[in-house]
Amino acid sequence: MEEIILKTTELTKKYQNRAVVDNLNIEIKRGEIFGLLGPNGAGKSTTLNMICSIIRPTAGNINLFGKNPLKQKKEVIHKVGYIPQELAIHGNLKAWENVELFTSLYGIKGEALKASVEESLQYVGLLERRNEFAKKFSGGMKRRLNIACAIGHNPDLLIFDEPTVGIDPQSRNFILEKIKQSNKNGATVIYTSHYMEEVEAVCSRIAIMDNGKIIACGTSEELKNLVTNGSEEITLEEVFLTLTGKKLRDYT
Amino acid sequence: MIRYLIKNNFKIMFRNKWILGMIIFGPVITIAILSSAFSDLMNKYDGVDEFQAGYRAEEDSVFAQWMDVVKETGAENGIKFSEYPEGKPEDVIKHNNLAGFVEFGKDGYTLFKSADYEMEGITLEYFLNCMTGEFEKSAMQSVIPIKEEQKVNLPVRKLEYLPAVDATDYYGMIYIVYFTWIGLVSAANVLSSEKKYGISRKFQVTAVPEFKMYLSKWIPAVMVVSAGIAVTVALTVLLYGIHWGNIFVSAGLILLTIMAATAYGLMLYYIFQNMVLTIIVLFISTFVMGFFGGSFETYMYSAWPESVKSLSPIYHTNRALVELSSMGHSNYTVSSIVYLSVILVISTVVSILFDRIRKGGKA
Repeated sequence: MEEIILKTTELTKKYQNRAVVDNLNIEIKRGEIFGLLGPNGAGKSTTLNMICSIIRPTAGNINLFGKNPLKQKKEVIHKVGYIPQELAIHGNLKAWENVELFTSLYGIKGEALKASVEESLQYVGLLERRNEFAKKFSGGMKRRLNIACAIGHNPDLLIFDEPTVGIDPQSRNFILEKIKQSNKNGATVIYTSHYMEEVEAVCSRIAIMDNGKIIACGTSEELKNLVTNGSEEITLEEVFLTLTGKKLRDYT
Repeated sequence: MIRYLIKNNFKIMFRNKWILGMIIFGPVITIAILSSAFSDLMNKYDGVDEFQAGYRAEEDSVFAQWMDVVKETGAENGIKFSEYPEGKPEDVIKHNNLAGFVEFGKDGYTLFKSADYEMEGITLEYFLNCMTGEFEKSAMQSVIPIKEEQKVNLPVRKLEYLPAVDATDYYGMIYIVYFTWIGLVSAANVLSSEKKYGISRKFQVTAVPEFKMYLSKWIPAVMVVSAGIAVTVALTVLLYGIHWGNIFVSAGLILLTIMAATAYGLMLYYIFQNMVLTIIVLFISTFVMGFFGGSFETYMYSAWPESVKSLSPIYHTNRALVELSSMGHSNYTVSSIVYLSVILVISTVVSILFDRIRKGGKA
């Protein structure tokens, strides 16, 4: 039986009585690449922030590696690597200093830290640029450095929140390959993106989220069949638009 | 766990050459300008020669028992007190060509100053402030029952109320203190980057507690400001020949000021969560503390009541440093240490508290 490493039960987050995440139930198995799709304001980032213990849920439970991250954060958080939408790096630090800073926060030090920093930079292809200041990097390099900062402590669960926004196709392709490689190396991945082709290419299972709820969940093929009953060829983007509608979402 | 965070935050702060330059050269330039601008004024104060003042004390006045001491200490410091039991104070001043007149009432005193002797009037007021401060301390000691053999002579007679300090020494020390209070600017780029780029949110995906996160900002900021101020002090000594008197106590006071001021600045940031607003409030509050504490007008000749000046932590530190330089000792050293320590502890607690309150909706 496959191990479930993340389970949310009736997970809810309300802001001023508006449910941003509404009774969300998801299960993620070890070894999966789980895609979370949804229009702007669907509640994807809020869900990830709750899983990462950045924000506290209004109601419901999270079970992460068999523990409650709200009550047992110290015991479980080192198993998570979070790559946020923002480029969470210091421009006035060199590449290796950025990776050292974030990796050290998980209790890694000395020679182990040094080795970990080198390995992470090697992994994202920035080892040769290790002594350059992050502020001088291109958008794609900053995105890769952002990833290096989250993987140094060798987490079991990698959470990518739109990691390919605003970068060139080469960098995007590199990042997608690295996500697949991390998964092959044993990491479970949660991945959000607005790029349907990316999600389809990378994820083993996809959930479509709207108005704080999961409205469909399954493999890419299962989602397509849900809309067409297998009668016609359809893209994941068409499935997405059919399920979430074509109305513009102007959330702030 | 936070060793590397402290190290890297220090690097970020230290690499900001503009801020470091401001911490080092801000005081050097300000001291040069102000000590030059105010030297004439200080000389004017120094130029106050001996002068006459009148007084009258009610029979039941708390000051009656101290009148001999007041007269003697006054005479030692160039103020000749003469008693005038009758007449309106204004008329007594006019007819006897006095700089001022003091009416000692039951619980307090009223000072009348002559418009013709402005500097002498300010000097007389400062003298009375110092004397009443000493009397209050003596009165406090007298209510504590002590054994006969432990009784000691009160030190009032030895009061040195007017330290001999020139404008360069005065402003040389005072502006070091003033700039340490705005030292948080050294941490501005770390704090604003953490907020702008979501780094502080990423820190939450770790098990590092709030207090350690606080220390990871406070310690490097104290280190950077201390390094900057050390260079400034060395420069001012070399360039202007400032006399620091008791160098170890003075250095300790400056270091404690840096620690307290950084904690105070961080507290403002934890409250407002906005660097611009924090800097504005920090600058305004430092200006107010300096205004009453002798950063602009020398505290010796400031017309503000002692009770108002004493509210400013800058006043205690300024006075301690000036007296340490000119007299080698200061009663304000202890009050300065206590004041700064209280600010350090309260600011730290409030910062952690606000961090936790803010995370109320967060994990």
